Amino acid sequence: MPPMPPMITMPLMTTSLETFALLSPEITLVAAAILVFVAGAFAGFRSGWLGAVLGIAAAMALAGGQPDGGATLISGTITIDGFSIYIRWMVLVLGGLLALVQAGDVFASASSRSGGSWRGSTCEEAGTFLLLLAGLSLTGVANDMVLLFVGLELVSIPTYILLALKRTDAHGQEAALKYFFLSLVASALFLYALVCLYGIGGSTSLAVIGQRLCSTDEQLMGMATVLLPVALGMAMAGAAFRLAAVPMHFYAPDVYEGTSPGNAALLATLPKVAGIVVLLRLLALGLGGQAISMAAPPSLGSASLAGSAPLAGSASLGEAALTYLTLFWQLSAVLAALTMTVGNVMALLQTNLRRLLACSSIAHAGYLLLGVAVAAASGAACVDTLGNGSIQTASDTSWTLGLGGASATLFYLSTYVLATVGIFAALTYLGHRWPEWSSGSGPRPLRQEITSVEDLDGLSGTNPVAACGIAIFVLSLAGIPPLPGFWGKLSLAIAAMEVDWNARIAWGSRRAAFVSLAVILVLNAAIAAAYYLRIIAAIYFRSAKRGVQADGGISAGVAMLVCMALVLMATLSPRGLFASASQAGSVVSRNILSDSVGSDSFPASPHTVAP
Amino acid sequence: MQQLSPSVLLVLVPALPLVGAVLTMLLGRSLRSRAHLPAVVGIAAAAGVSLVLLAATAAQVGNSSDAHPEPVRPVEMITTLWQWATVEDAYTPPSNSEALIPGIVLPRDTSGVRAFSIPVALRLDPLTATMLSIITCVGLLVAIYSIGYMHGDPGYARFFALFALFVFSMSMLVAASNFLIVYVFWEAVGACSYLLIGFWFRRPEAARAAKKAFLVNRVGDFGLAIAVFLLWMTYGTLDFHDTLSLDGTILPGILGQTRLADAGGIVGGAVGAAICLLLLLAACGKSAQLPLHVWLPDAMEGPTPASALIHAATMVTAGIYLITRSAPLFMACPGALAMVSIVGATTALVAALIAVVQNDLKRVLAYSTISQLGYMFASLGTGTMLGFTAAIFHLVTHAFFKALLFLGAGSVMHSMGGVIDMRRFGGLWRVMPMTAATFLAGACALAGVAPFAGFFSKDEILTSLHSKAFPSVHGNHGPESPAAETAHLHLTSWMHDGRLALDASSTYGLDAIDRPEIWQILFWMSLVTAGLTAFYTFRAVFMTFTGPTRVPEEAGHHAHESPAVMTLPLVILAVLSAVAGWWLFSTHWLSHFLSATPSLTAPSVARTVVPHLFHIDLAIQGTLAAAIGIAVAAIGHLGRRSDSPQMERFLGPLGSLFANKFFFDQIYTGLIVRPLEALALLAAIIDRSVIDRLVDWIATIPLGVGAIVRQLQSGLMQRYALAGVMGVLMIVLALAWQLRG
Repeated sequence: MPPMPPMITMPLMTTSLETFALLSPEITLVAAAILVFVAGAFAGFRSGWLGAVLGIAAAMALAGGQPDGGATLISGTITIDGFSIYIRWMVLVLGGLLALVQAGDVFASASSRSGGSWRGSTCEEAGTFLLLLAGLSLTGVANDMVLLFVGLELVSIPTYILLALKRTDAHGQEAALKYFFLSLVASALFLYALVCLYGIGGSTSLAVIGQRLCSTDEQLMGMATVLLPVALGMAMAGAAFRLAAVPMHFYAPDVYEGTSPGNAALLATLPKVAGIVVLLRLLALGLGGQAISMAAPPSLGSASLAGSAPLAGSASLGEAALTYLTLFWQLSAVLAALTMTVGNVMALLQTNLRRLLACSSIAHAGYLLLGVAVAAASGAACVDTLGNGSIQTASDTSWTLGLGGASATLFYLSTYVLATVGIFAALTYLGHRWPEWSSGSGPRPLRQEITSVEDLDGLSGTNPVAACGIAIFVLSLAGIPPLPGFWGKLSLAIAAMEVDWNARIAWGSRRAAFVSLAVILVLNAAIAAAYYLRIIAAIYFRSAKRGVQADGGISAGVAMLVCMALVLMATLSPRGLFASASQAGSVVSRNILSDSVGSDSFPASPHTVAP
Repeated sequence: MQQLSPSVLLVLVPALPLVGAVLTMLLGRSLRSRAHLPAVVGIAAAAGVSLVLLAATAAQVGNSSDAHPEPVRPVEMITTLWQWATVEDAYTPPSNSEALIPGIVLPRDTSGVRAFSIPVALRLDPLTATMLSIITCVGLLVAIYSIGYMHGDPGYARFFALFALFVFSMSMLVAASNFLIVYVFWEAVGACSYLLIGFWFRRPEAARAAKKAFLVNRVGDFGLAIAVFLLWMTYGTLDFHDTLSLDGTILPGILGQTRLADAGGIVGGAVGAAICLLLLLAACGKSAQLPLHVWLPDAMEGPTPASALIHAATMVTAGIYLITRSAPLFMACPGALAMVSIVGATTALVAALIAVVQNDLKRVLAYSTISQLGYMFASLGTGTMLGFTAAIFHLVTHAFFKALLFLGAGSVMHSMGGVIDMRRFGGLWRVMPMTAATFLAGACALAGVAPFAGFFSKDEILTSLHSKAFPSVHGNHGPESPAAETAHLHLTSWMHDGRLALDASSTYGLDAIDRPEIWQILFWMSLVTAGLTAFYTFRAVFMTFTGPTRVPEEAGHHAHESPAVMTLPLVILAVLSAVAGWWLFSTHWLSHFLSATPSLTAPSVARTVVPHLFHIDLAIQGTLAAAIGIAVAAIGHLGRRSDSPQMERFLGPLGSLFANKFFFDQIYTGLIVRPLEALALLAAIIDRSVIDRLVDWIATIPLGVGAIVRQLQSGLMQRYALAGVMGVLMIVLALAWQLRG
């Protein structure tokens, strides 16, 4: 039994009024959820989704009044920095779009049953959805493992409910149950990871764990060799389930197929955001804990300063951190390669549209993991060079687009969720189609849900706007320039190429691994083009045998148009998104280079205790 | 109008046609026979706005004051819409300053590392205002005419959408203030012309002509692309205008006032000459100059209004515009400048010779366009203020009378059931008097008959050439070489380690062609061309409109004058062709106006300003040439049947040379097309038998893997959970193993 590590004393971080003020957007979401629940139950309020949209708008208004991501604020168990603000805004925008899609979804699923009956559960759905958003936003600001886990569960549990509520036929229930049980497994595994991390850090605070991990404690190494593999493996399992990455990806096609398009849109986006948040927050542990960073670079322009930043904290970087980061990037890199390949080759054979998109979302999880691996490897490279005393070759700095691994991941995540929500919004909006029918062959058959790629045949003739939208989204997912998906893939590939830029490509080296990862990324993009272009071909180059019925309600159509507008904006001027992603990512990946003795963090400096 | 700032108006000029195009595209189906409305209204509004802008710019330039020929103050206004792309720290100025030639002042902006940023910036200066007015006004008249001409065409809406898009692209091309944006719209213009020439794409000739136009243009575009690269490497910016950077310093644009005021601001030498020659290549592509002129005659396959638009207002004027805009760059390279004139004068002569024997009315006009553009190039190449302004002057008048002639030809074609062969016409003035009268006005302008527009602009071009050829007559003592004042960028600064040590200060004898003898030859060529122009123009007039009345049977029994919607633009254009030249010449308004263009206020250009004189001897020479041409045409064709034996029999073997267009097409086919086809065939064989097999084989791998992976998707939750947990176990063990090792 190894002796316990010396306890690290922390200044008490109390939960104060300020914490509540900083959390006001999340609190607003929860309050809106409660209001919607109550209104639906007692006042006979029917427009649950309207309430949801209003709640999100209110949260946005409050979030707009919050301090910007230039500095890091720590209050109680939360931390507000560029990263959490980026995530919060992504969640809010995405939430607004998804609420619109879901609102359309209700109509579609109701009218596919007999006679357009209105089920009246929209308030419950909307309230649950708002809770989900609040949970996801909380994971972004969490500076404590408990809050992180609670946030994650607040994402998962409403998801189960939504899955079960939306679609009450056998398929829907099967999908809901599958998701439920597998999610439980993943959560349990993730909890183990947190336990192990607690064992290393002796605290639930991520900041303390990070500092502990970066300390040069002799005993730490011994413990780390035992606990780190378990912690990382389990944490990755938890994140992989949410990302739908290997080895926890199996559920995705079944569940997407079984549920409604609106729910599929939700599953393809929100859990992925959660997974990336978890991974990047955990990754930051190896860089000294995210709370250490006091000042993220304020803008894109100064991003290149990191290579020459003062390194007062360099003494605190230890062997354990290097081990952690090395394991982290190796694990993410292998899973990234596996995930993107598995997702894409599976998608090649799919004819069901939602299964295809599920497989494509698996592949995109692989791309995202690639960015995480780059961030981890860049961190490892930094620690390496710091250990050697030379600081000139810090690699996560130089590219002109200014995106390191973490930033590239966040940028890619944004482009991915926009396009994905857009496609599902379009599918929800289209809703149903008339089967093939001629006047001589009996009564007109009932309309059917759009399920396969073939159902989109000739859409350009019957609904040119939706056709154009789907084409744009699909092309963006495929990474065709100049759409944002291309910029995402490009920044990922360049970030991968930049790991250890000055090193030679030798067998087994970090650089070789990432160069080959970049090659795998490009090959996968080529494979992916095959099935994405099949959708385009169906829309534009086949004749319409069946009429598509745009009965999904106007709100999903609005969501589609908003997505189109956002994608086009990101196409014409990707600078804004680049800048904010870069700012957010730099918070995560550059802690290591920032001064760790800064004392003006808010409200009290938690890091006067570095050993 | 008081509330609208000029920058808003400037944005409106391209924006309105774009909106028109989009609306036509979207609403075309529901508007049916009124599908022209959005496009025509959009272009009309843009025309109004650009006339307002023209007036506003003119007010800023001030009145012409011939008494005090003091240097005109440059007038420009820049509107930056947004930053299109930015790459930080992209440009590092050449560091090996010792490699620079001693004693040469370098451009002053080589001080710092700079971002590569492409602002979507529009500019307003006299040149742009003039171009915008011509594009939109002539475009509007042609659009109105098209309402009648395209009536009932199944692609009615598509035509107007493309038409407005064309006007939009061209407006952006002349309004952009950045070489990259110019390049973008250079391509857009090419794409629009492709779509319009191939408008009746079901006809194989139309499809082929469209493809030819596009491909030949690509050669020129390639030149422009390389030129843009070189400009970037040399100047570290692609902007025309100066920009104020964040720290308060001025970043000089390539054609900005800072650089122009700096005597050593423009790089000459080999790099400068290369840039200029590449720009010339680009201009040759768009403006159909030798050797890239072959696409323009074939472009007749498009609808006639589209031809009129291409020939008069858009597309072909792009090359003239580009060279005028880049005037300071050319002024640094006398050899390249002379090259422009040589290309221009040669093209003018060759095209005129070909036009002499054409029997297709539209083809005669097409070759005349090439020839007239050659004139403009010849004028630009003189590198004097007179030359530049004369070229734009001729561009303006040419836009009027060429649009008129094309629309007239279209009117003939319209009522003759699609026949355009002049040998089958005769005495049409009795059938369609309005068309005949207006066509005659256009022909007089083209031929350079005294009071018509073409006479004055052509006279100025001849004067500019004459002043280069016989400098002593014009009172200036030979052109001193402006190259002495320009900076030279040493090539080794961007070649690694001086491995390629070119002497960048010399242009390898290119400047040696700038000699008076050459200019004398060019002058005489131009004078001969003037005579030929008059001849073929009036040959066409006589063959079509005079002689015994003959109407081809395709026209049926209802050969008639075209509807008013078509003749009205003809009349307006005819009036313009008749009076615009005299007005612009007598007041020197245009030349004074244009001289305030920043590019033309460069000291190298401004130094060449001479007082306006009407050289009566040159005017007589020009008129004489035209008179001889008309007289010969009259002898040959006036009052005869147009299918009677022709003038060609006097030409002997030369006739077949002309009729075969100097065998350009055949030479290109033999030298370029056939070898490329052979290469393509070879590549296709390799592609099909080797690469495709390989690819098919590789493509089975992902499919196979997918099939295997699919087996795992059993749909059974227990297996999923088991697989997940096993996977995690494997990960943990692998990580532990990794730590151990």
